[in-house]
Amino acid sequence: MTFARHERKEPHVPTDSLSDVAFLLIIFFILTTSIRQLTGFVTELPAAEKATAQQTEKTPTVQLRDAELRFNDQVVDTATLRARLFSLNLAGRREEERIVVVETSGKVDYQRYFETLAAISGAGGIVGLLTEEEGSSR
Amino acid sequence: MRMPPRRRRPILVPTASMGDIAFLLTIFFILTSNFARESGLRLTPPRAPEVSPVKEPHLSVVIDENGQIYLQGGRVANSDALESALTVLLRTRPTPDARQVMLKCDRSVDRSVFEPVLGAIARAGGVIVAVGDRPRAE
Repeated sequence: MTFARHERKEPHVPTDSLSDVAFLLIIFFILTTSIRQLTGFVTELPAAEKATAQQTEKTPTVQLRDAELRFNDQVVDTATLRARLFSLNLAGRREEERIVVVETSGKVDYQRYFETLAAISGAGGIVGLLTEEEGSSR
Repeated sequence: MRMPPRRRRPILVPTASMGDIAFLLTIFFILTSNFARESGLRLTPPRAPEVSPVKEPHLSVVIDENGQIYLQGGRVANSDALESALTVLLRTRPTPDARQVMLKCDRSVDRSVFEPVLGAIARAGGVIVAVGDRPRAE
């Protein structure tokens, strides 16, 4: 009795839809990716002891108290603060002379605080923090 | 003389490499995407004109509109816990660039929340990269 030969079919993985799957993945990533550029500024807060040691009578001070902004005890607005800080030419000074102390008290939201820190950093200053409750400087 | 009829060959577009091209594009998008660690957190960033493009640091601290603190996307109980965690993370980073910590805070958060966080980052040895947007053009 002769058996018919069975031709072994080679296993075949259909790859026709592979490119469709891949392009769908690409479309998914394109739609879910949000291209963003971070903006901000870099500020290094000095250690407490260093800031206290370097603080002198001439150290510029910015006070934030509730809705009030003061620069060296004078009430100013944000634009005036920027102009005063730029006039100090902080960027061209030695590190210990670039410190600008920021005192806060009362209710101060982060928006106003951020504007103040950005103005100091933009003028080339180094921020030194002074908090009301602790009475310590950072 | 009779010319034998020419068989018109069917036009074939080789699509065998389509899958390779598509997967290469997919890999490109995967590698170039930065998956946001703070996705899902609700906050409105502050605005200031002095901000400039900054490189996104590896470490991120976020304070959402409810005053909740997050480190690397994970919730942190308070600023003391944040300082402890950051001290461990920054211990093996010697250079100022490697010690940069991105701070994202909602603009309405009060100083009683963000000031301890700023102090915690400074005491842990971090260099703060405060993130915000430019004011909208009026």
